[in-house]
Amino acid sequence: MASAALAPTQAPKDEYAGDEINALVLDPGSYTTRAGFAGEDTPKSVVPTHYGVLASGEHVYGENAIHLPRGDMELVNAYGADGLVEDWDTAAKLWEYSITSRLTGARQTPPSRNGLNDTKDGNGDVNMDESMEQLQEEQDRALAEYPLLMSEPGWNPQKAREKTIEIAMEEWGVPAFFLAKNGQLAAYANGKATALVVDVGHHNTSVTALWEGMVLRKSLMKSPLAGSFLNAQIRQMFSTLQPPAPLIPHYMVKSKAPVDAGAPSNAIYTRFATPPKESFRKLEEDRVLTSFKESVVQCWQGPGRLENNMDSVKYAPPRPFEMPDGWNQVFGVERYKVAEGFFDARSAYPLPPDSDLEAPKGEDTIPSLIHRSLNACDVDTRAHLLANVILTGAGSLIEKLPERLQADLQSLYPNPRVRVIASSNSVERKYGAWIGGSVLGSLGTFHQMWVSREEYKEYGPGIVEKRCK
Amino acid sequence: MPPFRDDQILIIAPGSETTLAQLGLPESFTPARYRLRSRMFQAEQEGEYEPVKIRRKEKPASAPTAPVNGITDGEQPKPETNGEPEWEEDRISEDGAIWPIREGKIVDWQCFYALMTHVYNTVNPPFHTPIILIAEPVWTTKEHERVTQFFFQKFKVPAFTMVDSAMAASYAYGITTATVVDVGLGKADITCIADSTLYDVGRSLAVPECGGDAMTGRLEELLTGRKGFTREVCEQLKKSNVCEILPPDLEVPTSDSATADAPANPAAAASTGAGARKLSNVGDLPRGPGPGTQVGQEKKLEDDEGVLDIASIVAGGNMSGYLAQKDHEKAEKAAAKQQKKGSDAQQLAANKPVRQPNHKRTRNTFLYEDFALHDAMKKAGMSSQHMADMQSAMDEGPNKRQKTPEPQSAVSDRPADSGFTVQPHDGTAATDASPTGGLRREIEVGPERFEAASGKDGEPGILERIADAIHRTVQSCPDVNRRNELWESMIIVGNGAKVRGFKEALVETLQRKYIISPSSATIFTSELPSNLSTPMATGANTPQPGQLPGQQLPHTSSGVNPLLIAATHAQNPGLQPPPTSSALTLPQHSAHSSHAQSPTSIKLAKIPEYFPEWKEVGYDEATFLGAQVAARVLFVSDAGASKGFMTRTDYNEQGPGGIHEVYL
Repeated sequence: MASAALAPTQAPKDEYAGDEINALVLDPGSYTTRAGFAGEDTPKSVVPTHYGVLASGEHVYGENAIHLPRGDMELVNAYGADGLVEDWDTAAKLWEYSITSRLTGARQTPPSRNGLNDTKDGNGDVNMDESMEQLQEEQDRALAEYPLLMSEPGWNPQKAREKTIEIAMEEWGVPAFFLAKNGQLAAYANGKATALVVDVGHHNTSVTALWEGMVLRKSLMKSPLAGSFLNAQIRQMFSTLQPPAPLIPHYMVKSKAPVDAGAPSNAIYTRFATPPKESFRKLEEDRVLTSFKESVVQCWQGPGRLENNMDSVKYAPPRPFEMPDGWNQVFGVERYKVAEGFFDARSAYPLPPDSDLEAPKGEDTIPSLIHRSLNACDVDTRAHLLANVILTGAGSLIEKLPERLQADLQSLYPNPRVRVIASSNSVERKYGAWIGGSVLGSLGTFHQMWVSREEYKEYGPGIVEKRCK
Repeated sequence: MPPFRDDQILIIAPGSETTLAQLGLPESFTPARYRLRSRMFQAEQEGEYEPVKIRRKEKPASAPTAPVNGITDGEQPKPETNGEPEWEEDRISEDGAIWPIREGKIVDWQCFYALMTHVYNTVNPPFHTPIILIAEPVWTTKEHERVTQFFFQKFKVPAFTMVDSAMAASYAYGITTATVVDVGLGKADITCIADSTLYDVGRSLAVPECGGDAMTGRLEELLTGRKGFTREVCEQLKKSNVCEILPPDLEVPTSDSATADAPANPAAAASTGAGARKLSNVGDLPRGPGPGTQVGQEKKLEDDEGVLDIASIVAGGNMSGYLAQKDHEKAEKAAAKQQKKGSDAQQLAANKPVRQPNHKRTRNTFLYEDFALHDAMKKAGMSSQHMADMQSAMDEGPNKRQKTPEPQSAVSDRPADSGFTVQPHDGTAATDASPTGGLRREIEVGPERFEAASGKDGEPGILERIADAIHRTVQSCPDVNRRNELWESMIIVGNGAKVRGFKEALVETLQRKYIISPSSATIFTSELPSNLSTPMATGANTPQPGQLPGQQLPHTSSGVNPLLIAATHAQNPGLQPPPTSSALTLPQHSAHSSHAQSPTSIKLAKIPEYFPEWKEVGYDEATFLGAQVAARVLFVSDAGASKGFMTRTDYNEQGPGGIHEVYL
């Protein structure tokens, strides 16, 4: 499958190869950035893509920094709503942080001498001095030691791709580089070369058709109905409850006392000299929403739409949820309704006018995305693709979402064999694209595909368009 | 390769402040035999390091090389020629030390290597000795390789392995699923381990300002207004047992409560001069009636807070006068004591019950060992004899020790002197308050001593920070169903957590903030926790949502639960479920526990107490115990059958990267 992506006309020059190459895999997303060594089963380093900007203008990265309530920190994301990088300088720093913080270690200013071996001890069988010097040299550039495999969204424009290889080659000094589409990688993670990949992320849901390892460009569809849309739906649902549910994040609560369901909360709140900024509060609220999504939200599993099955949903036992301030309530129909927007735009909660998300459109729902994507593909391929629908992305972890998608697709395409493949392991679905990269990067046959440093020097950033299709 | 034996294994646990090491595994595991400060000093030549501070001698002619009160002036070169600079080793001072590990990270590799070499040379193991190293969680993959390379190439070890400190802690506890909270010097690490699998994703690594240092800093901040409370004083205050972290619902004693306790024994208060106590002399211990003048005299030299500014006295050259006064004072004290013994024995007895638990007293005293002063005196070029005089004159330690509960013994982990401390006699190197070169004084401190974990106006304190990091870590464990289990087996280790009451306060904080109480709206549905019986009509058996978060076990109460009534009257008709048969609801919920949200309870894991020596000193360094367990299993029982360590052959074949296959 890997060789299919290699341009057959051009023999790779100075191919980067060798035994046991330890490649780095970087899968940047708009919510988290995943990094690790190829060949491992989970990314070692998962860093939030949000970063803090302090009053001094300093940027802080990582979980420890951005979850600390402080009055002078604004939280920013280097990604735009379309899932593409907007602020390249910061994105590059953040990516580098995700790699150096857990994998390679920070850059060091090499001490002029290493005092490891004093002359008295020079009768060892290995010359420590030399190997250490070599190490130091490599460390001048934090990532100069390992080839780097990066993922990108399928709709990444050429300019952005060239910018990416430029950062990798010029700033980080990687010896070899490759850029793969995350839909492609997610399919590899599931061991498929022909598949229709449905990736539900944070900002975007995308559908990519893959034919024998090649991305069918025309088939690429994306919509904003993804994790952040679901968050907005839940917020909206909370505010329309009677009385509205208090979405108070953990950092504002000092201690809570149990109260009855629906009763006002009885908690002691934290007082801040300078309260944290709104952006911080929103991110911390998202943590509560994540917990809500994990424990309460469920898709109506089909068949049919939720609105036609209200009766069965009404009699299902509701699930309780407790807010950080102790307020708690049971959620019955609501827990189904918030997720219905993925499949039925009309059933979604209407978003408040000040929301930065647009109201969901009918063509943006997951089944219509798949429909549109398939229509753009050759007729002969459709049956194969429908038999290999891979569901991935952390947004797809909503309970019963795979079942619902299966049901909806079956009613949409009654004839062909439709199969939705969704790993039951939440880690595999959350980090699907990264795992695919890990698989690809550790394949022996993949090593002839790297864009080496020499090639980059010869052809410039344009080579990424030629090589990484 | 011959198999390894118990007595051949070297365990090293590098830390930001203290590096632990031990050669050989005794039949019953003991705490680490070697405790070395994790610091080195720059040697004369760039890139070389010495384990002790070497300082240039200021006054070569006048100083006789005599061992002084426990301090031996090492291999001192004899004064021969005038031009040759003279050097002496200073075993106590840490001025100018380089600490290679900060917040768990290795910040100075050359110094780290030097430290490891120093540890190795100190332990001096025989040739056929495998090494197991406890790795800080924050070390990166690449750094593991560097460390491996160093050990193989420098010491030519026959076998080597590394174990993650969180993993080691779980071995010590003998449990496979745990949340390990490791509170160190500058940071805390929080790790989820489920079924012996360590979750890297979501792990909180080196959460800054969550270690013991942060608490010292906080004490310093609180006591800034008061003269004499330097960082070193605060550090020792933190380690003393008057510093305590009170549970949130316990009031910090104010002066009101202190006066309230005074009338409990008016006779004692009157005779010992309760007023003097308020004036904060050098300690609030009764001086006995009589020498009222003493107080006045002291005032000249001691500031209001009871802290001597001896350094300025030394500098001012007022030393002899001061010493004379001190002598006089001592004599008077002894006299007073005599007098007391004779005439006031009854009153002394009456004094005893006044001693209240620390948390009820506004002020309390602790013993402070002044190392900075020692330093100042050395710098001033004082002769050893002179220093010894001063020491005996000012050392209040042994004198007071009979009267005060010994504050040092419980928590002090300062090694007796710097580098080479080995105390083979008692097995542990935890020192008692033997003369260590520092000058001991009593210092009194007010209710600030309870505030070490508090936050600066509104900002989260160390407890809240750690609690948030724990919540974040456990809630990001990908296996949602294991989270409740993780919450119920928390392991708190690390010397940062040694402060009295810290662990309890941390658990309490977590419980107050995060615990999810059973919902009153679902007591009729299948969402009942499985460990509770079916509710009776009276509601006597229902889970009581009104329970205090501090109580860990669900309590049942008699009588009709008012919350039950509230729950039966639908507050939100739309949300209220119609009664359903349990047969219909149960299958759907088999995958979910009572409450999908966690935590429903938070508990500390219990450590099996097999080892009496460990039990004695406490399990704050349980990671070391875990490494001992791992060492025995990996090197002796398993002996390489399942590739638990890397042999020299492996290293030659695979290079440093091979460590990842054996890393635990």
